[in-house]
Amino acid sequence: MSAWLQQVLHRGQAISDWLSPVRRQALQALNDTTWPGRRTEQWKYTSLSAVEDLALATGQSQSQPEVETIDGIDSLDLLFVDGELRTDLTTLNLPAGLHVSQLEQADALHQVAATSLYAQIKPKRHLFGLVNDVLAQNILFIRIEQDCHIQQPIRIISHSSDGHESHQRVLVQLGNKAKASIIEQTQGQSNSLSTGFTEFDLGEHAQLEHYRLLMHTKQAIYFGGCHFCLHDQARLDSTLIGYGSQLSRTDVDVIHNGEHANAKLNAVYLLAEGEHFDLHTTIEHAKPNGTTNENVRGIVGDKANAVFNGRIHIHRDAQKTLAELNNRNLLLSRRGQINTKPELEIYADDVQCAHGATVAEIEEEALYYLRSRGISRSQALIMLNFGFIQELINQMPNQQLAHWLAPQLRARFKEMEVR
Amino acid sequence: MLTIKNLHARVEQKNILNGLDLTIQPGEVHAIMGPNGAGKSTLGYVLSGREGYEVLDGEVLLQGENLLELDIEERARHGLFLAFQYPVEIPGVSNMEFMKESVNTMRQQRGEEPLSAAEFLKKAKAACQQVKLPLDFLKRGVNEGFSGGEKKRNEIMQMILLEPSLCILDESDSGLDVDALQVVANGVNSQRDGKRSFVVITHYQRLLDYIEPDFVHILANGKVVKSGDASLAKQIEKEGYAFLGLDSSEEAKA
Amino acid sequence: MTEQIHEALSRKYEAGFVSDIESETFAAGLDEDVIRRISAMKEEPEWMLEWRLRAYHNWLTMEEPDWAHVKYPKMDYQAISYFSSPKSMKDKPKSLDEVDPELLRVYEKLGIPLYEQEMLAGVAVDVVFDSVSVVTTFREKLKEAGVIFCPISEAIKEYPELVKKYLGSVVPRSDNYFAALNSAVFTDGSFVYIPKGVRCPMELSTYFRINEQNTGQFERTLIIADEGSYVSYLEGCTAPQRDENQLHAAVVELVAMDDAQIKYSTVQNWYPGDEDGKGGIYNFVTKRGLCHRNAKISWTQVETGSAVTWKYPSCILKGDNSVGEFYSVALTRGHQQADTGTKMIHLGKNTKSTIISKGISAGQSNNAYRGLVHMGPKADGARNFTECDSLLIGDRCGAHTFPYIESRNPTAKVEHEATTSKVSDDQLFLCKQRGLDTEKAVSMIVNGFCKEVFKELPMEFAVEAGKLLEISLEGSVG
Repeated sequence: MSAWLQQVLHRGQAISDWLSPVRRQALQALNDTTWPGRRTEQWKYTSLSAVEDLALATGQSQSQPEVETIDGIDSLDLLFVDGELRTDLTTLNLPAGLHVSQLEQADALHQVAATSLYAQIKPKRHLFGLVNDVLAQNILFIRIEQDCHIQQPIRIISHSSDGHESHQRVLVQLGNKAKASIIEQTQGQSNSLSTGFTEFDLGEHAQLEHYRLLMHTKQAIYFGGCHFCLHDQARLDSTLIGYGSQLSRTDVDVIHNGEHANAKLNAVYLLAEGEHFDLHTTIEHAKPNGTTNENVRGIVGDKANAVFNGRIHIHRDAQKTLAELNNRNLLLSRRGQINTKPELEIYADDVQCAHGATVAEIEEEALYYLRSRGISRSQALIMLNFGFIQELINQMPNQQLAHWLAPQLRARFKEMEVR
Repeated sequence: MLTIKNLHARVEQKNILNGLDLTIQPGEVHAIMGPNGAGKSTLGYVLSGREGYEVLDGEVLLQGENLLELDIEERARHGLFLAFQYPVEIPGVSNMEFMKESVNTMRQQRGEEPLSAAEFLKKAKAACQQVKLPLDFLKRGVNEGFSGGEKKRNEIMQMILLEPSLCILDESDSGLDVDALQVVANGVNSQRDGKRSFVVITHYQRLLDYIEPDFVHILANGKVVKSGDASLAKQIEKEGYAFLGLDSSEEAKA
Repeated sequence: MTEQIHEALSRKYEAGFVSDIESETFAAGLDEDVIRRISAMKEEPEWMLEWRLRAYHNWLTMEEPDWAHVKYPKMDYQAISYFSSPKSMKDKPKSLDEVDPELLRVYEKLGIPLYEQEMLAGVAVDVVFDSVSVVTTFREKLKEAGVIFCPISEAIKEYPELVKKYLGSVVPRSDNYFAALNSAVFTDGSFVYIPKGVRCPMELSTYFRINEQNTGQFERTLIIADEGSYVSYLEGCTAPQRDENQLHAAVVELVAMDDAQIKYSTVQNWYPGDEDGKGGIYNFVTKRGLCHRNAKISWTQVETGSAVTWKYPSCILKGDNSVGEFYSVALTRGHQQADTGTKMIHLGKNTKSTIISKGISAGQSNNAYRGLVHMGPKADGARNFTECDSLLIGDRCGAHTFPYIESRNPTAKVEHEATTSKVSDDQLFLCKQRGLDTEKAVSMIVNGFCKEVFKELPMEFAVEAGKLLEISLEGSVG
């Protein structure tokens, strides 16, 4: 067993709070887990050797990171630094119907609500999901009462600083017909390991606009995920932006647990240098008449390595499901790698499912068109590459956020080896 | 303006242009007609420098510059503009962003200051209105989801914005109804200033009712087989290409 | 409509009879001694025995793969007999006239009248019954063209240099669990060599039949197409209806030298088990071809049989400009499980591959496409196009797609598309309105769905495949 994992188990045993029964289950599962290697399907293209013997500080962090505000968005910001919640929840001026609390201090009522969520949405969590179950503290519980439309976007910023290991967990519950917008943003570029998982429960007719901006870079090691459970008629619109870092793995899971639910997932990854980015998405259609539309696009430069695994699973009862997944990749460099696997697993016959995946270069014809208007080859390549991504950015419901992102994405582009 | 001497070119191992000669003076409008497969579109692609179009022999001078030695974008910056028959769609790259980049590149070439965002927007709006495209087309992806007619008008809008010295229109009339045809023709005519030259490639005489050519050339088997004035186009309209004594199987083949 | 489809889907397996042929069969079990005995029975040279033993020792260190989307009880490899031969094979027949008439009747019953095949179509046939090759037709005529077509057991003795050079060169001994097992215990199979520049004058084909109880069949096929040559090879398989599961672990290796072409077609109709999923063949097969410069290997398969299929005919596109193709129809019904697909490994420049896979699932079966497209760092300008379509008949079956795409080259292009659909009520209504019954209608629609693949099969095979599909569907429909 890895030295790091051993030390996790050790620390896990010491934690005692009202969540302990669930934590112990995860601890047990971890005990039975063998350290993943190349032959572990889930980790086939992602090596965990950098984590195996990692030893980082786990105590309180002194760091005081700067948090950039998003122009044009007056978001309700919740800041985590190395797993520790820095925002004083008591000082927040919350709109009616929105409750933000720390799970450890939850009252009995909230405890009941939270246990239906904590470690419940995705039954089979991988190693780091289990580690998070065991070690996450300062667990944030966001609850939106039924029929409440929260206009103000809620932003959760997670900062990792040099030499730290942290485990952060968020639970989000949207009551029936509730509406909200949540931005999850990770950052930090130093040597660190963080896990961050969020579980969302969308009540009937609830609507969630969701953004996960994975802006860890350089030395950061990150394992995260968002697990969504959709009840009848719930609607999810999620956009994920991924930068790569030394090692980054994200699992997005959507469970259609009610009929006529609708999920739209867009994801973009832009990788440079020697970055490694692994995105696994799983869509479970457990109930009939659901719709999923997933578009994932990536650009890989330098020595970077992109891994995408997109699974759609249609259960026997999920008749009349419409599910589509499309993954397109551009590989810019000879030293880069793209490994993609869209998967369909279908047990119902009256469904329409399709997936497609491509790895290609920019189309010669488009390049010619731009050049025939006097634009240089290199500039045309940048425009076309960016356009490839921009198509998904343009679909973000919050265009203010898109505007804030655009120059950052452009800057990132410049770091990449666009020839 | 443009001198083409004995131009030979091939695509995918097939010779398409076989010794084409053409001379165009500033301010002139030349129509190029001919049966399918005569090499009309190939001429436009060869002049613009499209990859895969291999020049085997001949010389092309644009305002004294040896065109064939230049890259695609350099030819464009020297004032050559090709309005495509089938413009490609580029989702994600907005028309506005595309044209702004392009216009400022051209201005830089001419030693002019780049336009500010506001100045550019003003010009772009005017051009849009001139070809009767709704303003929101500027925000949309290049040709993305445009109808055939909208794509053609978008090409003319680009021509107006880029102010080239030689415009090659490759079947800009194909697939257009009368109204759209007029819009395209008016766009072209508005750019005729006595200095700018035009090569109008078309299969039918129809477009030439709206854009009066100074010369008409018939292209067949990769070279100019007959030249004349506007009346030649009218004769073709009436009699087809048969009177040229071309092997009719050539047309069938194409 | 699903009801109707299912009613009609319970048709019997037509090749399920057992033949009363006297055989000599080894006792069940596998150890070094068994391998020595197989080798001795085959009068093999020492190097061959050594090769087998090394494979056996590799196998002992390996684990049975569990990544495929199939479930079956763990097999007891000591309960299988690794050699069975019809008794009459002691003095091997030289021509069909000398073949045991009972054996000829077996093939007649299977719809493969050997005489007819010899007389008519001009198809040269090698017949493998349980563990041995019983007859190879047309050998003389092929010899005139310089083509070698014989049982591999014979080739080991007669053409040791060719066998030594190429055996295991595409599928190494320790490639995977089943290939290692095959390498240790293979008993027979076909050997083909097409000399430089020769276009093989006729289709070559092998029919495989498992007859004996509790035996495994481990055949090994090796085809070498020398520079600029061409060969089309067909393969058909059946087995009797038995309650136990029988193992078929074959290895097929193809070598296409510069400018050579190999077309390999399979119609696989091993016994699939009964309605309750009892019995049937475990078809765990490794098939792989190596393409040198400008070479082309084309795999076409129609898979309707076997209880469990685990099979990925692949191409290693090593030479520049080489081409790999994979056309597949896999139909599962009852409790059948199939996990099949291909690997296209692009190593050379401008290599191209096409994958067309059609999966049809009915009953309570599970049908998975699993494929890998790999673009190596030197595969400049390489191209792949993949299309995987699944058709579900009924709501108790499963259709799955697992395509792996790995790209290491910015100039390579990979396109993968997959869709899933069902026989729509509209389609059925139209057919019925035109007077067709449900069964005929479904069979027509399914045939249309598979057309792209069928057109790749040699003519006689295409007809056979169409019929087979129809027979297999009867009973799935209703």
